[in-house]
Amino acid sequence: MTAMAAATAGATSEVSEDDFAALVDALAAGPERRGELTDLLREDHPVYDQRGAATVVRMRGWVLLALARAGLPDAALLYVLEELDAGIDAYLVAAAARALRSRPQPDAAFAPFLTRALGNIRYHDEPVSFDGYGEYAVGANGTSPVREVLATLEWLGPHAAGALPELEALRAQPRGLSRKRLEDLDRALETVRAGGPAGEPGGDCCALPDGLSSWARGFRRGGGPVESVVFEDQEGGTAGFQELFQGHPTVVVFFYTRCDNPLKCSLTVTKLARVQKLLAERGLDERVHTAAVTYDPAYDLPERLLRYGQARGLRLDAGHRMLRATSGFEALRRHFQLGVGFIESLVNRHRIEVFVLDAEGRIAGSFERLHWDEARVVERAAEVLEEKTDEPAPPARHKAASPMLGTLASLGVAFFPKCPVCWAAYLSLFGVAGLERIPYSPWLQPLLAAMMLINLASLWFRGRSTGRRSGFYLALAGALAILASRVVPGLEAAAMWGVGLTLVGSAVGVWSRLRRPVLHALR
Amino acid sequence: MAEKKKAGKSSKSARKAQSPAKKSPATKKRSARSALATATSASKPVDERIQAMTEAPLAVCAEDESLQKMLNVLRNREEPIEVRLAALQSLQAASFAVLAFESCRADYIATLRELVEDPDPELRQRVLGILARENDGFVQKKLLEGLKKPGKALVPPEKALQLLSYDVHSEAYPIAREIVKNPPSSEAKREALRLLSADPAAVPVFEKILRDKDELAELRQLSASALNSLRPEKLQEHAREIVLDKNEYDDIQAVSLTALTTLGDEAEVTGDAELLKRVDALKGEKSTKVKKSARRFLEKYGE
Repeated sequence: MTAMAAATAGATSEVSEDDFAALVDALAAGPERRGELTDLLREDHPVYDQRGAATVVRMRGWVLLALARAGLPDAALLYVLEELDAGIDAYLVAAAARALRSRPQPDAAFAPFLTRALGNIRYHDEPVSFDGYGEYAVGANGTSPVREVLATLEWLGPHAAGALPELEALRAQPRGLSRKRLEDLDRALETVRAGGPAGEPGGDCCALPDGLSSWARGFRRGGGPVESVVFEDQEGGTAGFQELFQGHPTVVVFFYTRCDNPLKCSLTVTKLARVQKLLAERGLDERVHTAAVTYDPAYDLPERLLRYGQARGLRLDAGHRMLRATSGFEALRRHFQLGVGFIESLVNRHRIEVFVLDAEGRIAGSFERLHWDEARVVERAAEVLEEKTDEPAPPARHKAASPMLGTLASLGVAFFPKCPVCWAAYLSLFGVAGLERIPYSPWLQPLLAAMMLINLASLWFRGRSTGRRSGFYLALAGALAILASRVVPGLEAAAMWGVGLTLVGSAVGVWSRLRRPVLHALR
Repeated sequence: MAEKKKAGKSSKSARKAQSPAKKSPATKKRSARSALATATSASKPVDERIQAMTEAPLAVCAEDESLQKMLNVLRNREEPIEVRLAALQSLQAASFAVLAFESCRADYIATLRELVEDPDPELRQRVLGILARENDGFVQKKLLEGLKKPGKALVPPEKALQLLSYDVHSEAYPIAREIVKNPPSSEAKREALRLLSADPAAVPVFEKILRDKDELAELRQLSASALNSLRPEKLQEHAREIVLDKNEYDDIQAVSLTALTTLGDEAEVTGDAELLKRVDALKGEKSTKVKKSARRFLEKYGE
């Protein structure tokens, strides 16, 4: 736990809204405590647990306003820009715009976020009140998100020169802003124009300040253990984390179908469809998988996932799926360190988050909060794929172990002696090798049979993830032949066929897994 | 001949009067402006003002002054309530044109918030409805407060639940569950169940109500519908049991048969000899509803 988190750890879901407001006010009073205020902006902070979405809005808005008073630190800037980029709640957008004005210096990189906020919120412009915690504007009092955004553009002045064409287009519209907002817009335009023609004074209009890019390249974030997570896909098929995310890079996005912000979940899934198209154009769609995982697994049943994905043009097959965690969601949340809060099973607030996983299922890149560029995600996945191709051996060895054991188990079942006399005969045969020292163990046969079944299950799941099940069917035929040889008198010779089929089936199973990387390496 | 001609002319003018006149946009705006002037004039008769309100929406947001006049009529408690209700309707109609209404929206919402505690129950309820459909946090807070403390309630609990159900994120589930346990009225219980039909945690509640023969048929049907949405496989299990139960009510059996017909797992149902035998028996007995549902079931799975 960081020092900041420790300081606000007392703020849990048990804290009343009034106490929370008092805590925030106390933190805002000391500039050195701005880090603690920033920590309260995390969606997964315990203080938001089991609170409704409207309550979370009031609480986060109050934190943003406190930051507006105390001065917005670098660490909180991303949260503010996120709100301007994809927020549709009037109170939060207005608070974010006000908080941005408390930065020590105006920056040209803020202008695109403000114009986007203007576009997102202008048709939802509602009165908001900043007078006290939880207050709503009634009647003529208060401010509004459009007013706050325009005031921040005015504060940017010549640094917002890049936004000038959009602001002038807004001014030229015959119908649009109200008379009061037009006055605000005119003031903003006047200060922005003061720097000269568009583009001159702002410098690089679209680059984020240093350290704000969310891509974390060249590192691996392992996260918590995820072996316990079981997923169900849009067709109702089940699989574990390793089966789905090992052996190939995967682009993973998170969403939920009941999300009411079209700029978040709906857009994220639509953009994932675009990622799939870009992968296909580069011939990577078979080697890089994609997955859209719901935050709301209790409600997002397979049929809902399917409809939601199809409506947004998502390609859905063995390598590209929509998933819900039927068990182990908490482990999944910890693994990805998801930026999401809940009231019961329903999401109360979440950020935009996209991950690129490597062939081991580890996080090789993430993009959080701000809108992401599909081409950059594809580029990162391609880089990870190349890393994997350079070093295909470790996962391959790991994967090959199971079929090998399974085949040996089948051999064991096929030739296991039926009684102590047969055991003695075997031992006399192998006596020269010293095997006679092994005692007859009746428990060994069920153990070998269990291993054979595990091998079959492994081949089945592998077949599901690759879409090729021939290995499983061959091994199943082998297992049945071995079983027949053990229970049907006169069919003992079938054991040899059984072992052979199991061996071939296991080999085919491994080959379908390794085929792509091996062929790629050969090419 | 002259009379015939005259009659023809008069019927033509009558048709013209009856059919909506094709007006240019400019003419429409002019007549809307004049209608708005009538609608907001306290000296005009009430009926005339109400009629003018229906023609005013085009002009409501044309100028700031027009909007303010209309909002003043709406918030003025001295105005006849019919006129205020008509003003609200006119403003609501204007707000449907989202782009044209952009400049008026903030004042409109702020005025509506002023009216949530208006003494007139109809106006209050309509205003609450408009704001609830906007997922307005202010109204959600008021409605939740009213459900927790009935003395502060702005509308009856069933109406509050209905309005809160517009927003799945409105944090009404815990209170709705409480109302299902201790309902102030059967209507409130029904609306609480409707609200919970999107809550996966409420599945056991719906299972219990569906199987409870003492519950109202409407609530049991509502529970079946909720289970269909939240856990279709659970509905199938219960529907089977209900169909097999010889003491079950006809309505519920008919619903269960329909559920099995439309949602049933074909392999599972066709292999269920006990169920098929029971439905075959239902085909010849009981109510028309059950007979019809049984026949549809057997058309799909049996015979």
